[in-house]
Amino acid sequence: MNQFFLHHQHSKELEVFPHILEFAIRKNTTIQLNSLSTTTSDSVRIYYVLEGKFEWLIDDRRSVLYPDDLAVILPGQAFRGEKNFLDIGTLFWIHISAARHEDDKRLVLGTWSGLSKAETRTMGRVLHLNNTPVLVKMKAAHSILQAIQTELFQQQIGYQTRVNQLIDELLVLIARQSTHQNNLQRDFPKVFIKLEEALRKNLAHQWSVEEMAALVGLGTTAFSEKVKKFTGFSPLNYLINIRISEAIKLLRRPDISLTTIALEVGFYSSQHFSTTFKKLTGYTPGEFRKINTSRN
Amino acid sequence: MDCIITIELGTNAVRVFAFDMKGELINSAKGSYPTFHSAPDFSEQDPEQIFITTLYVLKNFVAEKILPEKYHVHSICFVASMHSVLAVDAHGAPLGDLITWADNRGKKEAQELKSTPAGKKMYEATGTPIHPMSPLVKIVWLRKNDRPRFDRTDKFISLKSYIVHQLTGEYCIDFSLASATGLMNIHTLKWEDQALEYAGIKANKLPELASIFVRPGKLRKEYQTSLGLSADTRIIIGSSDGCMATLGAGVWSDDKATITIEDSGAVRVVGSRVLRDERQRFFNYILTEGRYISGGPTNNGGVIFEWFAQQFGEFVNPFDNDHAMENHIREAAKVSAGSEGLLFLPYLLGERAPLWNPNARGSYFGLNIKHERQHFIRATIEGILYEVYSIGKMLDEHRSITGLSVNGSFATIPFCTQLIADIFNKPVSTTKNANSIGLGAFLLTATDIGIYPSLDEAAQSVVFQETFLPRQHDHDVYSKYYEIFERLSVKLEDEFREIATLQQRQKETSSTTEAIQ
Repeated sequence: MNQFFLHHQHSKELEVFPHILEFAIRKNTTIQLNSLSTTTSDSVRIYYVLEGKFEWLIDDRRSVLYPDDLAVILPGQAFRGEKNFLDIGTLFWIHISAARHEDDKRLVLGTWSGLSKAETRTMGRVLHLNNTPVLVKMKAAHSILQAIQTELFQQQIGYQTRVNQLIDELLVLIARQSTHQNNLQRDFPKVFIKLEEALRKNLAHQWSVEEMAALVGLGTTAFSEKVKKFTGFSPLNYLINIRISEAIKLLRRPDISLTTIALEVGFYSSQHFSTTFKKLTGYTPGEFRKINTSRN
Repeated sequence: MDCIITIELGTNAVRVFAFDMKGELINSAKGSYPTFHSAPDFSEQDPEQIFITTLYVLKNFVAEKILPEKYHVHSICFVASMHSVLAVDAHGAPLGDLITWADNRGKKEAQELKSTPAGKKMYEATGTPIHPMSPLVKIVWLRKNDRPRFDRTDKFISLKSYIVHQLTGEYCIDFSLASATGLMNIHTLKWEDQALEYAGIKANKLPELASIFVRPGKLRKEYQTSLGLSADTRIIIGSSDGCMATLGAGVWSDDKATITIEDSGAVRVVGSRVLRDERQRFFNYILTEGRYISGGPTNNGGVIFEWFAQQFGEFVNPFDNDHAMENHIREAAKVSAGSEGLLFLPYLLGERAPLWNPNARGSYFGLNIKHERQHFIRATIEGILYEVYSIGKMLDEHRSITGLSVNGSFATIPFCTQLIADIFNKPVSTTKNANSIGLGAFLLTATDIGIYPSLDEAAQSVVFQETFLPRQHDHDVYSKYYEIFERLSVKLEDEFREIATLQQRQKETSSTTEAIQ
């Protein structure tokens, strides 16, 4: 495997791809102290192991990578060698620039990407929630990286479009694999409870069915059917269930305002909260609070 | 037209059924809720989520399936799973989540009490085996390990008490559920002083005891409006899922037993007296005065078959466990009775009756080079049913059982029903109505209204659908293998303990490493 190193500031191959910050194959034959100490960046960093064994800390978690394994470091995540140096072996990597919204775990790619905004956002969320920086046996990723390399060096007609398509393809592959690696798609109750925990952890977020389905690794139709069969509710109605249950808990504490409760559990407004709550329980949130904090 | 709605607050879901006054099922609905395991032995549920799910399901059910058909809801009857504990404060607000029957945090407390003379006396008085499932043990655990919560608690209630309190404003608990708390004397029908003292509470920390026919009050006005029900809807406190599964199975004479196998399972008999057992292996729950439901529960029912399918089944579509299980039944049928000498001990979740050993573990035994995949499948099913048989055998020491009635999703798979008949060597009947718990609650309500003069007669109205007769040849094969099954289950006690200890230790080490990372 021939080494190469392309950098967006000084490689003419990347002139028309400002979003590719680095693209390289490196064969590391000696250990140099502090050759891989902590860095964080706003880019998506993807490493594929060709040879050797790498011991890294990604987002404070220890990961060991073997050949054909892939690591993905999301914007804002810290990354370093476990002993602050780069282990011996050969790596293939690409760094793609991305913007990130701190509060939202949102992934934003530039106009070069053919992925829709909504899909990109869902992928960013799924990658964060799955929290599996290392994907094992990702040979398919190697083929894509090789294809990008060929396109960049041969520059045949249409290569600009092809390179960007291949990056999209790589990202989709990674997002899907991160879900499939997380669940074998056998035990629905187990996967569903993980989803429920994710929803409860961030109830204020306006969850879409697409996002929920992606976390489970199903298409939206199959996901909705499964959820309906398993819970008796559509995914969005199930979510309303959780929102109201949490709201009831907060209503029992007289120190939190109704508007705060509404927003905290994911309603657009206190009006929206009030209507939904009353429809289900017959009480307005205020009435419910009154009978449950004064009686007895 | 009048109809009766039954609401079953089950382990994983609330199930709502509507029956007409003749007992014909009109329609049903369900809504599930999750169980959280914040620590290895903990099993907890969110009481508010269960309440909201119940309201939501009931509201849609009434609006979409009952009112458009011009039915008037005459009564609503509640059934709930046993042994749950919820601590609430003086405002009725839950202090923490609901602790379910499957919660094992009180392992140590149960073990300490069980072997003492006081423990034995409490078992005899309350009918509830001394086990972490028992609310008595759970309250002791809270007193010793979560003192702030224990001190703030105004009442320790069950899930059903909570839901009914939300809907009507009244706290109460029916005799059947109360007889599964380890705190009620099943002979005097009062809270048992010795148990209260051991728990460290007074009777005023518990809900009012009530007969299963009691009407705790009217639906609050707001719920009448939101649910679309009239003020005259009668709310009946009802009973426990175990008692109702027995009533709905139509088994009501001394020589009959009911086998229920869903995820977990139980074998139960009905009688006018409690079954006394020196070794504390049975539960004795009371339905009404002079009607006791006795038997033994197993942890390892259909959930083990499902586990096996998830691990080793073929999945064509994602999460299609049903398909994998159907295939397994087909493959199991290709192997002869006894799986050519492959035995399975199904104790993956520890075991309750008859071993009462939380350390029991699973095992395949007798494996030889000719055994194939399908032998494992059949052995797994046979092992689950041998365990159920071991409970039945223990009951047979007190009764001579001549016939069985089965219910629950696993026991009613025709292949399994036939195996039950063969292993027990007794005829096994299935009932026409697949959900015996709902039907039991209907029969209870119908008796209260006067449609049946007594529960005994209500039980006799249950229609049986099909009877599976035992096959002598297969029975002979099973009984030989069963002897080995029974011996292994007892013989391995030391090894069960040692391996469970090692497993626990490993789990602790790996969770500490995770915490460090």
